[in-house]
Amino acid sequence: MEQLTSSIAPPRSSPKSSAPSSTQQGAGSVAKRLSNELMTLMMSSSPGISAFPKHDGNLFEWVGTIEGPSETIYAGLTFKISISFPPNYPYVAPTIKFDTPCYHPNVDISGGAICLDILQDKWSAVYSVQTILLSLQSLLGEPNNDSPLNSDAASLWDEPAVFKTQLMKHYRPVSDSA
Amino acid sequence: MATDALRSQVAAKWQESFHRLNSDAPGISGLMNFSEAWAISTQYLYPWDINNASLDGGGKPFGKDLNVARPAFSLVNHSRRLPALLENFLDDMRQNFYLIENEINQFMERYEADEDTAEIDPLITKLMEWYKSWAPPQELGSTFFSSYTLNFQTRLFSALPPSFAHGFKKLCARLLSPPDDDHAQWDPNIHAEVWKNFEILGLIDRYESIIASVGYEFIENHVLSKCTGEWGKPMLEELRVWMSEKVVPWMLHVYARGASNAEEARSMLQGVGSRFDFHINKTLCDLRTREIFDIIIDFPDSMGALQDLKDCLQRVDQRANLVRSLRKSNQKRLLHPGADTKLILQQYVATIKCLRIVDPPGVLLFKVADPIRRYLRERPDTIRSIVANLVGDDDGGDSLVDENEPIQPLQQPEFEDYTDPQWEPEPIDAGPEFRTNKPGDILSTLVSIYDSKDLFVKELQVLLAQRLLMITKDNSDRVERERKNVEILKIRFGEAALQVCEVMLRDMTDSKRIDGHVQSQKESVVHPTIISRHFWPSLESSDMVMPGQFKQLQEDYAHEFNVFKPDKTLKWLPHLGTVQLELELEDRTIEVDVPPLEAAFIELFADQAIWTLDELVKAVGAVDRSAAIKALSTWVDHGVLKEDPENTFRLLERAEEPSEAVVRERDLAALPVVEDTPAISVAQQQQADQMRVYWKFIEGMLTNLEKLPLDRIQSMLKFAPGYDRSIEQLGDFMEAARREGLVVVRDGIWKLNK
Repeated sequence: MEQLTSSIAPPRSSPKSSAPSSTQQGAGSVAKRLSNELMTLMMSSSPGISAFPKHDGNLFEWVGTIEGPSETIYAGLTFKISISFPPNYPYVAPTIKFDTPCYHPNVDISGGAICLDILQDKWSAVYSVQTILLSLQSLLGEPNNDSPLNSDAASLWDEPAVFKTQLMKHYRPVSDSA
Repeated sequence: MATDALRSQVAAKWQESFHRLNSDAPGISGLMNFSEAWAISTQYLYPWDINNASLDGGGKPFGKDLNVARPAFSLVNHSRRLPALLENFLDDMRQNFYLIENEINQFMERYEADEDTAEIDPLITKLMEWYKSWAPPQELGSTFFSSYTLNFQTRLFSALPPSFAHGFKKLCARLLSPPDDDHAQWDPNIHAEVWKNFEILGLIDRYESIIASVGYEFIENHVLSKCTGEWGKPMLEELRVWMSEKVVPWMLHVYARGASNAEEARSMLQGVGSRFDFHINKTLCDLRTREIFDIIIDFPDSMGALQDLKDCLQRVDQRANLVRSLRKSNQKRLLHPGADTKLILQQYVATIKCLRIVDPPGVLLFKVADPIRRYLRERPDTIRSIVANLVGDDDGGDSLVDENEPIQPLQQPEFEDYTDPQWEPEPIDAGPEFRTNKPGDILSTLVSIYDSKDLFVKELQVLLAQRLLMITKDNSDRVERERKNVEILKIRFGEAALQVCEVMLRDMTDSKRIDGHVQSQKESVVHPTIISRHFWPSLESSDMVMPGQFKQLQEDYAHEFNVFKPDKTLKWLPHLGTVQLELELEDRTIEVDVPPLEAAFIELFADQAIWTLDELVKAVGAVDRSAAIKALSTWVDHGVLKEDPENTFRLLERAEEPSEAVVRERDLAALPVVEDTPAISVAQQQQADQMRVYWKFIEGMLTNLEKLPLDRIQSMLKFAPGYDRSIEQLGDFMEAARREGLVVVRDGIWKLNK
């Protein structure tokens, strides 16, 4: 009975507000999903990856931290990324870019944009922040040189010494950028 | 100069006066007669020194013959010179009053020297003597007499020194108190004469307040001596009887003097009687107020005192006093760290019961209970004590809840029902936050110390879990007892709240059934209790691994279980339970029941006779070092192992003569096997768990946002579900983390210590 009246109530109150309220409701469930993801991420303690909302009260903008995997050229380096969730997450992938300049075949060195299939056409609602972070971490060690955003880097990939020099030329330690 | 008219007027007046005195007698003979009568009269009335009187021929004081004086008086009266005579008399009295003053001073000096009321008594008698000796005869009329009395009293009062009041008070007290031994034969009338003297001398009116205070003190002393510590039966009625027997006769003299009959006396006594009755009430009330804490301790043996208190409070407005006194003694004697929670609860329950007798609406209780409840809320083991008491887990202590009380559902605070025809307004001294709670249900009151009953239900689950896990194969009938408990608690807390407990109980029976089945397939000495993880309170996990044959036994059992219940997996909690062991050593066999860790250790010694502590700990997986030492010392106590040197243990295949130190230690310990209660993470542990979650969040935010001030951390923690700490608590927590070297702080900005 209560459910009935509550479902009748909104149209009666104001038909104009029905459209925003539905997105509001959507936002509510997105927020819930995001907060669940946050909880899972916090409790999972995967080494080298982490992320957290930038501001209290806003779950849609996060900051992420990725440590370069050991035994790769990125070992010992830490990269900051920013993650921005769309209102219709998880049906649409979040927008992710590197804040720390990252010299990498699939990363735009100036804008920080990333070319990663699961962030574009291969996105699925079952992915989560944690899977994205893990994918990014492994992307560092195993770039996809077939579709480079940074063709210089792609071409230098096979010469680690030169690559490393280029990498360190662009790299800014985290604490300086923050 | 005088005119003729004036002269003639004076002459007329003179003539008139002359005639009046001369009484128309010839010549001045009338005048002579008058002057003689005047002389006789003044002589008769002259205030003489009764101690030192000059006697006339007849042995009477000189000039005191009334027969001679009477005609003289009438002559003076006839000549209308009585006022002059009175004036003259009073003047003489003024001049001679020093005689009495001297006498008084002598008596009082003696009294002041030894404070003996025996000096006051004769003083009064003596004063009466003076008074009577100086009194004018009746023939001079009542005006004359009353002027004399008034004058005498006035002079007397001014002559009495201040110490007299004190002495008089003592005298009155002596007159009032009956001789100690023979109460029955005490006749209040033996002092009637003295009282009459007091009255004549005007002392009663003058010292009325002193006499009253004597009465009050008398009552106070009696009440205090009779009633202090006497709480068994109501005393008030007895006191009233005593009052009418002992005090009223005395009062008759003081307050009903001159009453012609009983009716009149009664009406005269009414005012003062009710004052004295009030005083009894007040004294008793004050006494009980002072004793209230102990009265409550003694409840229900102190029923009488409570009844008295109730009656007294109706008469005397001392409710605020009672509250203050009880709160103070509670603060001093009850609500301090030295008092056991159980005791505090018991006293609280007794307080509830007692104050309901004294004040059924519960206003007093509300005011007194508030600090107790606040204090109890701060104690970590309050819930545990209450719950333990509920399920009868208390050893020795009285049950908080009356067994005879009907079991009823918990009452939730209700809104007032104004349609209730029995509705009564709140009592006048109820505070704004006063809530009536229906009398009778102690448990509801206890549960309402906390805001919700959920805490109790949770604690109940923990307690039940503990008790169920303690059950072994041999005393499995205890499951039934627990079931009964749960049924009773269901009535109180509601079916839904105890559903989890229900599942726990079912797990117990299911375990037995499953065990039966598994045993029928393949016999095993292992009898596990199989519990559903989600419905049991979180059990302390352990990384312990059972070595040797135990491991084999577990695996075999788990295999059979999987055959029986393929959709479920058995996860062992090897550190819980008991193991029945029979150790065969070269020279002896030892049978013991020990906890699993002990069993695991001794199993290891089957293969190798000497182990170091570190090796042992490693061999059974990760266990707490202190727990390991404790387990090993059990075997040392049994004389099976020996620590030699430190942290190295050797199996004693042959028993050693116990060295003295060991014997002593064993005597001290004198514990064969301590059956540990299964370690279940209780509230504190849960809190620590929660804090661990929050720490993850703090770590996460500091990793990504680098450095944050405390208030940002606090507001960011809102992302963590159920975060409810204050910023102060967070500050403490961060401080603790800093001490552990996890974070660093500079200028109030926190960052991870990398």
